[in-house]
Amino acid sequence: MVVYSFYIFDRHTECIYAKTWLPPTSSSESHAPGGPTTTLRPASADDAKLIFGTVFSLRNMVRKLGGDDDAFVSYRTAHYKLHFYETASSLRLVMLTDTATLSMRNVLHQIYINLWVEYVVKNPLSPVEHKGGVGVRNELFELGLDQFIGGLM
Amino acid sequence: MFVTVFALIIINKAGGLIYNRTFHEGGLHKISTNDYLVLAGTFHGVHAITARLNPLKPAATLNRTSTSSSTTTTAATGAGGGAPFARPDPPSGLEVLETENFRMQCFTTLTGIKFLLFTDTTQANVDLTTRRVYDLYTDYVMKNPFYQLEMPVRCDMFDRKLGSYIREINNR
Repeated sequence: MVVYSFYIFDRHTECIYAKTWLPPTSSSESHAPGGPTTTLRPASADDAKLIFGTVFSLRNMVRKLGGDDDAFVSYRTAHYKLHFYETASSLRLVMLTDTATLSMRNVLHQIYINLWVEYVVKNPLSPVEHKGGVGVRNELFELGLDQFIGGLM
Repeated sequence: MFVTVFALIIINKAGGLIYNRTFHEGGLHKISTNDYLVLAGTFHGVHAITARLNPLKPAATLNRTSTSSSTTTTAATGAGGGAPFARPDPPSGLEVLETENFRMQCFTTLTGIKFLLFTDTTQANVDLTTRRVYDLYTDYVMKNPFYQLEMPVRCDMFDRKLGSYIREINNR
């Protein structure tokens, strides 16, 4: 499985953390004729906004159809799969992976418990609101996330 | 494998709701026709965004020019050799949406009509079911001389055939 990117949105709908990973295929073999020629599209700041809009609309749609206790889990297109996890405090975690990946709900839950709560919430120097990503981009969280995702791939 | 089909929605290429039918009561919440119209429009927009969010980008243009000179001489027999400017894959929007209570399969035709099929969460060949529904649509809606394109579907034959087909699945 391949993880393309990961986003965290706070309860004010602001993107407070975004990270993308390069695909494992090296750039040298992509130049071979007829070989796999897919490269990562450079992520733009608009991507986070588009992703939030999508996730927000789909979540509302799902709640309308499936009842208030229903939760939007993931969607898949022909090229990628998006996983979604929302905590009780309206913190939203989003992850983009390749299409073959199974449900990543528990993975996102683990990131919330083991990384977010441990390194961001329990950090006494971290502010309550993470405006512009303040307090999220700390060394331990970044390192832990990188290791965790690296272990999955 | 017990697949229960809850509902079917057909959205035209402009994002308007043209068909909406519930097959199984209790699967989805009852919402008003107005809400269905809103839902169809919202989904149409979201579908367009999901196609744009693709993290992978197709083959770069410089790649194509560097390989075309070498392939034209050698790979004239292959499908790629005859088309140095191979067309990229069409952008693909949302295909399957999963939630805790239901699963939604979206099938987009080349003409831009979307078939949304709501089923329960057990996955088993919902893809085939949407294709079959599309077959029924082409047979009994598109071939109906009184049907106007992009307008709501009101065809008796389609209703009947679709009803019996879905009943067959739900009673399996």
